[in-house]
Order: sequence, then C-alpha cells, then structure tokens
Amino acid sequence: MRGVVIPISMVPGNSVIHRISPLPKLLLAGCVLVLSFSTRNPAILGALIVLGMVMVSVANIWKPFLRVMAILFPILLTLITLQSIAPAFPRPWTPIVSMGPFTIYQEGIYSGVTMVERATSMTIFALAAIMTTHPSDLFASLQKIGMPYVLNFILTMTLQLIPILQKEFTTVLSAQKSRGLKGTGFAAVLPSMVPVFVGAIERVQQLSISLESRAFGSSGAKTSYRSVKVSWVDYLLMLLTTFGTCGLLYWIITDPSLDWSRTLIFAPWLAITLFTLATIGFLIFVIIAIRVVLRA
Amino acid sequence: MTNPVIECQNVWHIYGGSVTAVQDVSLKIYPGEIIGIIGQNGSGKTTLVKHFNGLLKPTKGKVLVNGRDTGPMRVQELSASVGYVFQNPNHQLFARTVEAELEFGPRNLGLPEDEVIDRREKAIEFFGLEPLRHSHPYRIGFPLRKLVGMASVYTMRPAVFILDEPTTGQDNVTTRIVYRLIHRLRDEGSTVLCVAHDMILLAEVVERMVVMRDSLLIADARPREVFSDRALMGSTHLLPPQITELTLRLKEQGKLPQVSLSVSESLDVFAPLFGGKSEGGQA
Ligand SMILES: Nc1ncnc2c1ncn2[C@@H]1O[C@H](COP(=O)(O)OP(=O)(O)OP(=O)(O)O)[C@@H](O)[C@H]1O
Ligand SMILES: [Mg+2]
Repeated sequence: MRGVVIPISMVPGNSVIHRISPLPKLLLAGCVLVLSFSTRNPAILGALIVLGMVMVSVANIWKPFLRVMAILFPILLTLITLQSIAPAFPRPWTPIVSMGPFTIYQEGIYSGVTMVERATSMTIFALAAIMTTHPSDLFASLQKIGMPYVLNFILTMTLQLIPILQKEFTTVLSAQKSRGLKGTGFAAVLPSMVPVFVGAIERVQQLSISLESRAFGSSGAKTSYRSVKVSWVDYLLMLLTTFGTCGLLYWIITDPSLDWSRTLIFAPWLAITLFTLATIGFLIFVIIAIRVVLRA
Repeated sequence: MTNPVIECQNVWHIYGGSVTAVQDVSLKIYPGEIIGIIGQNGSGKTTLVKHFNGLLKPTKGKVLVNGRDTGPMRVQELSASVGYVFQNPNHQLFARTVEAELEFGPRNLGLPEDEVIDRREKAIEFFGLEPLRHSHPYRIGFPLRKLVGMASVYTMRPAVFILDEPTTGQDNVTTRIVYRLIHRLRDEGSTVLCVAHDMILLAEVVERMVVMRDSLLIADARPREVFSDRALMGSTHLLPPQITELTLRLKEQGKLPQVSLSVSESLDVFAPLFGGKSEGGQA
C-alpha cells in the first residue's frame, strides 16, 4: 500500500541545501532547464545529472527522490524505444538494424538517450529544490521574484494537493479491497480514480468558497507568515549560478563540435541492447505498477 | 464455549515507525456479540478495527479471524467474512450508480446473478434508497451517502459487520435506519462492532463496550457498568446519555435501585417513585 504513495513535497531535513534560501535553488533549477534544452551533448547533460546527484546526496533525500524516479524513469525509457524507431531528428537517418517492420536508427538512439538525459537532469534539480523547501517558503520566494500572487497560489496549492491525492487514492483502493475487489490490470484500478477525482473537485470547490470567504480576491499587498531572508551567501550563489550558466551557454552555442549527433556512433549491439533494455524496463515497470497497486 | 470470531493477541500498531495508535490490545469477540467501541478522537478506535478485515496488519502481536492469522491474508479474502463500513463514505463509494455500488460486493463474492439482484433489492428497500437507485453516489447528500456505504457492505452479508461512526452527522431519520440495521444484524446472528461517539445509540443497542484511551484498551464491560464508572468515564472525557446520568445520580442518592440506559427502561425504573405502574414506552 505504501508503494503507491510518492511524496513530491518537502522532506524535512537540516542539510546545507535545506538551509539555502529557496531563491538560489529555484534559479539553479531554472538555469538547468534552459541549459538542458539548449544542448544535446550527452556529456554535458550527463555532467548536469551528476551535479544534481551530488545535490541530492548532500540534501540526503535519496530515498524519496528514488521513489519518484522509480516511477518517472521507466516512463522516460519509452523515449528511447520510440525515438529509436521514429527519431525527432532531421533526416537523413542512419539505419542500424531492422527488426520486422521497425528499423532502429543511429540518430534515434542518440535522440532518445539525450532526451532521457535532458528530462532526468531537469527533474533532479526541480525535485531537489522542491524537496528541500518548505511550501510556504517557496510561496514567499516566488512572490519575491515577482510571480503574480494568484498564479503563485495556484502553484503552491497544487504542490500541496499531490500528496493528499496520493493518500486518497490509497484509501479508496483499500475500500474497494474491503469489498472484495478482484481482478487485475488497469480496469481494476480505474474505478478508484473516480472517487479520488470527484473528491479532488469537491475539495477544490470548497477551497474556492473558503478562500473567497476569507477575502482572497481583495486588493492590497499580500504577506506571508514565513518570511524568506536572502543573505549575502544566497546572492553569491545566485551570481555564481548565473555566470556559470551564461558561460556554459556561450560555449554550447559557439562550439559546433559539441554536436555529437553524427559523430557518436552506437555499435549495433549497443543500440539493440539499449533499445531492448528500455523496452523491457518499461514493460516490467507496467507489470510491477499493476501489482503494487493491487497488492493487499 | 464457542470459538471467538475475532481475537487480538497483544496487538500493537505503530504508524510510520513513530505514531503508536494501538498498544498491546488483547480482545476476544464471539459470534453474535454487539460491541460498542468508544474513546476520544485519536484514541485508536479506527486503527484497531481496521485490523479486523486486514486493512491494517499489526506491527506486533497477532489478529485471528475465525482462528486464522490475518498476517498473510489479503483484504479481499477477509472481506467475505468481515465487512467494514468506512467512517468517511467518500472513501468507500466509487460506482456510477447506487445500484452498481450495491452489486459490487456480492459480484466479487462470485454469487449468481439472481442472488446479486435479490440482495440489491432487499438493501434498497431496507435502507430506503428507492428514489436514489439510479443516482450517482456523489450526487446525493452526505447522510444518504453514508447509508449507501452501509448498504454496500450489507449486501455482502458478512458474519462480522464493522460500523465506524455510523450516526455521526446523521439526522433523526437516517439514525433510526442505523438502529434498525443493528437490530436486524443482531436478529440475523451477525457480530456487530460499532465505533461511535453517540452514547445514546450505544446505550440502546450494544451489550458490551470496549473503551480506548491513548491507544490503550482501558475497559471492556457491559454499558451499564461502563456508564456507571465515573472515574473511567471522566478519565477519557466521555459523558453517558443524560438519562443514564440522571438515573445514576438518583441511584447514588439512594432514590433508585438501578441505573437505566434508555427512556423506556427509565419509565419502568421510575414507576415505583411515582407510585404508578409503567406503561412501557417508545424511545
Ligand atoms: N495513516 C496514518 N498515519 C499516521 N498516523 C495515523 C494514521 N491514521 C491515524 N493516525 C494516528 O493514529 C492515532 C489513532 O487514530 P485513529 O484514527 O485510530 O483514532 P480514532 O479513535 O478512530 O479517532 P476518531 O474518533 O477521530 O475517528 C491518531 O493519533 C492519528 O493521528
Ligand atoms: Mg475513527
């Protein structure tokens, strides 16, 4: 039952990363987002991932982080499978092997691998920022950098709603099991989605009424119960992050040798192994997911 | 003596390694008993009863249902003999119509179609759900939703029926249905466990009362004894029904021979005071 719950929310702790103000962390997450979209170089993306892992280690959030990745990563693997046979890449494509109706292309594997790296690096930094920041601090910091109040509120509420929904899902599933729910596959899990979403909608409706009755729409400056202090260390970190990112961006844009799409050749065995592993990985995930969800 | 349907042997439940919700509880429940479980909010009542249909497994100790350890058993298996009506009906209902909701359990039990329909119809009649049979469970009001929750378990005819706060938030009409349900279950020979803060309900329907406080089982006795024990009641901030309190005080003043649990019972008890014969009465 606990396997179903994925906490994408703050993991309390007292590491250096926890103590840094949310602003540098958000900035870093944003910079990594920009960087990963500006390059397809597997080494740079890999380096970003390693850096993210260092952050996760320092923050000591491996367990919750891996729990999220255990769900996300297999889904990302489908990118390799799909890209290999239908690359999102300008032609010409270099075929590696043909298997029945499908042909695996060199560019496809490259594209799939880099896309997975891209998504992974972005996720690591975003998760590291969210998991080490109190939701209210996140709220206060976003407000500080000029995010409109209402938008900001929606974002933080959504983040807080996720763990609640996950808990509800578990509860509803246990209700169905206590009425002898049998069967396997998604058809069996599907009914529990209904009450969870109906519950969520009811909750949101009530929330909007209670917000209004507490003068949510009124004008005037909004304050937060928790205030975010930005120290010189934070400014220094933000400065470093900005410079680092700009430097990297400059290098990425000006150095054409960083485009390895035609030079990095995957040997056929490697390509097939990657393709097969990704596909099997995803299928195993689907099977395990169904099992976990249905386990008593 | 018959064997207990449910037996707890030194059961502990600790949530997430830190919150102790049930501590060293030992308890035997025999077939046909009607038991009330009381205690303050957060005393561990829900946690305890969730062990009986396997939704929770003890952190330490053992729970036996019909003599079998629930440890390795699945909720689905246990659901045929132990029915649990959730405290919050929103967590329990998921079908598109009330009818489908009532059919869900018996279908999972693998009953033949005509039996499923028969049970559905009986439940609709008993709980007065006729006007709502095609409604979506989420479009009907909370009290009726709660009745649908009970009806959906009732159609499974479990030997043990667990009700978690069945009357909380219910009006007089739906409360009466809960009373009738418990009476009906008793007549059918089911074992009923009722978690409740509604002392009037319990005083009237249960024969045995289990009191919890801070995750401990602190008393297990007949309602009359529990309600008369001021130290016990006071220690967990529970109040007996007013009529019980009144007769208890009168008894302490030596004016009444015994404490009564309901209005109709009181009429009999009061009769000698007023020098007349009681006519009995309707609560
Ligand atoms: N899923 C959970 N995770 C962690 N703690 C929990 C969980 N469910 C209950 N608790 C805690 O366990 C204790 C007992 O809770 P429980 O729900 O069993 O009490 P209860 O007697 O049913 O209360 P109520 O009268 O409010 O329904 C409480 O302190 C509660 O906060
Ligand atoms: Mg409870």
